[in-house]
Amino acid sequence: MSARMVAALGLALLAGCGAPREASTPAVEPEPEVEIQPATAGQLHQAVRAGGARVVLLNVWATWCAPCREEFPDLMRLRREYRERGLRLVLVSADIDSQLPEARRFLIDQGVDFLTYLKQGADMPFIDSLDARWSGALPATLLYDGAGRQLWFHEGKTTYDSLKARIDRVLTAPSDTVP
Amino acid sequence: MKPGATSWMVLGMLAIAVTAGAAEEGTKALAIGKAAPMADVKMTGVDGKSFSIMDVKGPKGTLVLFTCNSCPWVKAWESRIAELGNTYAKQGIGVIAINANDPKAKPEDDMPAMQVRAKALGLAFPYVMDATSDVARAFGATRTPEAFLFDAGGKLVYHGAVDDNAHKPAEVSARYLHDALAATASGKAVATKETKSLGCTIKFRSRPTSS
Repeated sequence: MSARMVAALGLALLAGCGAPREASTPAVEPEPEVEIQPATAGQLHQAVRAGGARVVLLNVWATWCAPCREEFPDLMRLRREYRERGLRLVLVSADIDSQLPEARRFLIDQGVDFLTYLKQGADMPFIDSLDARWSGALPATLLYDGAGRQLWFHEGKTTYDSLKARIDRVLTAPSDTVP
Repeated sequence: MKPGATSWMVLGMLAIAVTAGAAEEGTKALAIGKAAPMADVKMTGVDGKSFSIMDVKGPKGTLVLFTCNSCPWVKAWESRIAELGNTYAKQGIGVIAINANDPKAKPEDDMPAMQVRAKALGLAFPYVMDATSDVARAFGATRTPEAFLFDAGGKLVYHGAVDDNAHKPAEVSARYLHDALAATASGKAVATKETKSLGCTIKFRSRPTSS
């Protein structure tokens, strides 16, 4: 069952448990939703190569990872600033199943309203498939061009300025080099 | 300039840009076959005594494990780590667990918390604090937990994870560290020498600035 289905089921159960609402009761604001889809490294590569983006920023994070949480606002800021110019942000949580509610809360708090992913499969093939230089420490950030060619890899916390400079470099490349 | 030429030129520029941003410390992990660096550096243990890697060196080998109190990956593995360390410490493998995290970054990694963890886990080997994080730097360690196993001759024979499933012990299919310890304790070659797992970054202490 997908994380989204679990959340929807939970909300439905909660709604069903309450007493019937009076007609005058103000409508309860629907809880914001965020989709967390399980994905292997291969599926993430497919997501990176999916059309429509000129540059793709992939970040592997986890709720228990302090530097991941610290850099997260910068990733969201970059998405806001560059989305219309062709940036796609691919967020991959390395949380385990029991940490999913916390991951969901964090994503909602950060304003994430788009599809995100949850790492699946054994650690070592996942790590090596994304980048053989990655030791496995979180966070990890990778930059790809629109064709899914990897341009950059970074292990550990990044900075807004560093990422911005790299994204600018890709976006200012002539369009005939960016399929 | 012809469009094709532009493409090749820019592709070349992009290729140059395909780089790896180093992790914080930017050092490569100790290579298989190498000796333990900074092996004579004394580090304070949870019992108040000082230990170096040389001090704990076993007749059949030495396990150096970078770990901490705070990382969920460590917490998932810690009972297996304690069991492995306690078991092989009796079989001629010297064992030392090193916490290189800066307690300023992770308050639960301070010495009192280390003492609590060591007691709760029943560690029969030293659990010490790398008070400068320099030992971890010298090893090129990046995460917790991260194991470095040396053979009787002091050469690195295994580097990596405890096993292939931190969070579901019942689903472990490859006991990397156990197998490496068993082989080393028997004087045999380690089959799988390097493995990886997800883990927490080591929260390195800042290096003092020279004035």
